[in-house]
This record gives sequence, C-alpha cells and structure tokens, in this order.
Amino acid sequence: MAKPISYTLAPLVVAAAAALAVANWMLRPERAWFWGLALAVLAGMTAALYVVRHRSGGETPRDAAADSIRGAVVFAALMLIVPLGARLAANFGLPPHADTARRLTMILTGGFLAFTGNTIPKTLTPLSALRCNPARVQALQRMLGWTWVLTGLGFALAWLVLPLDVANPVSDVVLAAGMIVTVSQVFLGQRARPREAGL
Amino acid sequence: MNRVFKALSDPTRRRVLQLLRERPLSAGELSEHFTVTKPTMSAHFSVLQEAGLIEAEKSGRTILYRLKVSVLEEALLGFVDTFARDAKTRKLAGRGPLKGDA
Repeated sequence: MAKPISYTLAPLVVAAAAALAVANWMLRPERAWFWGLALAVLAGMTAALYVVRHRSGGETPRDAAADSIRGAVVFAALMLIVPLGARLAANFGLPPHADTARRLTMILTGGFLAFTGNTIPKTLTPLSALRCNPARVQALQRMLGWTWVLTGLGFALAWLVLPLDVANPVSDVVLAAGMIVTVSQVFLGQRARPREAGL
Repeated sequence: MNRVFKALSDPTRRRVLQLLRERPLSAGELSEHFTVTKPTMSAHFSVLQEAGLIEAEKSGRTILYRLKVSVLEEALLGFVDTFARDAKTRKLAGRGPLKGDA
C-alpha cells in the first residue's frame, strides 16, 4: 500500500517548526525558556517519529497506529509553526497579527478534529475481539466519524468566516454539540448491549 | 486515491459497499445479491480490498467482509452513486448525456 502524505510531511513540518523556534531564540534570547519548551516538545515529536519510522501504509494495526501518530505530529507541529511564525514576523517589524495567528491555530484545530473523525470508521477491531454486535459497532463508528468530521468542519468554518468575538462562542457551541452527540451515542450503545446479549 | 476511484467506478462494487453498510457479511451472503459468477465476485472483492475499502476476516470456515471506509470515502461513494443513478435515469428517459459529457 502507498505511504500516506504524512510520512513525508511530518519530518518537514517538525524541522520547519524547530527552525522557527531557533530563529526566535536567536532574536529574543531573553525568552529562552519559551523557545526551549517549544524545542523540547518538537524533540518529543521527533522521538515519536523515530520510534514509528519503519511502519507505514501497511495492513497491520501497528502500521495504522504509526500513520495515526504521524498525522497527529503534523497537526501538532503546524499548531506550533503558527505562533512561532507570528512571533518571528513581529521580531522583523512586521505587524504581529495576533488575531490571524489565533484564527489559524483554531482553523488547524478544526482540521485536526475533522481529520481524526474521518479515520474513526476505518479503525477496525478484529471481530473475534468484539464483545458486542459488530453491526452496532460499525454503525456507532460511522456515526461518530460523521459527527467529528462535521464538528471539525463547523469549528474551522466558524473561525474562518466569523468575527473573532462571535467565532469563539459559536465554535464552543459546535464543539459542545459534537461532544453531546458522542456521549449520547456511546451511552445508548452501552444500554443496548445487555438486551442484545440476551437474544 | 486512484485505487479508491477505480473501486468505486463499478456498480457491483458500489452495491457490495452498500450491503456492507448494514453489517459484516460472508462472501456467500454477498454473492446471493448478484447474478455474476463466484470468480468475478472474488475479483471485485480483491479490488475493494486493495483500495482499503473492505477488510476480510476469517471466522471459522467462512470469510467475513467488513466495511472499512473513511467518512470522506463514504461521501465519495454517495456522490458517485447519485451521479451514476442520474446518468442511468437520463439514459432510460432517452435524454442522452449532459452537455459536456464525453
């Protein structure tokens, strides 16, 4: 199977974030602890990428887990790149655009929610390991997948188009709605299990 | 992604995916819904497996097929199905293809 784009992208975005952190450190050494913290987080991501370096694009659950870790690293590094880039731009006298950095970070958060939701129905547990009706599990996974893709897209869209003071409460409501649907579906699924076992 | 498009281009394979939306099914149960031969069905299953849209799991002496589509792939399946149905309706009505179709 072909390797996903995150296989190539993950080391690149981590390296870009590290370069931005180092550049910021050199320009503003008085905030060394902040840049050091960012570099420590990036070192953790690099370690995670190193651990899963030989696994990608395969059929096994370990390959799927490795690809999932790589995807998470890409989003996490992008979330670091935005504020680091904004700080660096401010150091060069460019307008700080704090609002833009916040918007971008929130849009990325929405993108991450949608990305994660998209893969939920693809994460299969072996039938032999399932302790309840496989059809119900499949329906639940599809429902949760759609819920989080729509929640993520709604969240990102709110931060993309709405004024900041409106985007904040709207995205909170969207997120809360996604959580309520998730909890209620899982709760209903749990309640249905004993009845099925008795059939 | 090419493999996914190839897999979704065939109506039999799309129907297999629709049947698997309900629950995991064995090869025999799936074949009952089609008039094609078993080797042909096996070829369809292989294409779907290669595209990562279904997963086969051995359960005793039977092989159970399960749906393994992401939300994006499911949305794509819905789109392809809608357009294919629309094209079929137009063909049956004798209206011909839409302007710009090859």
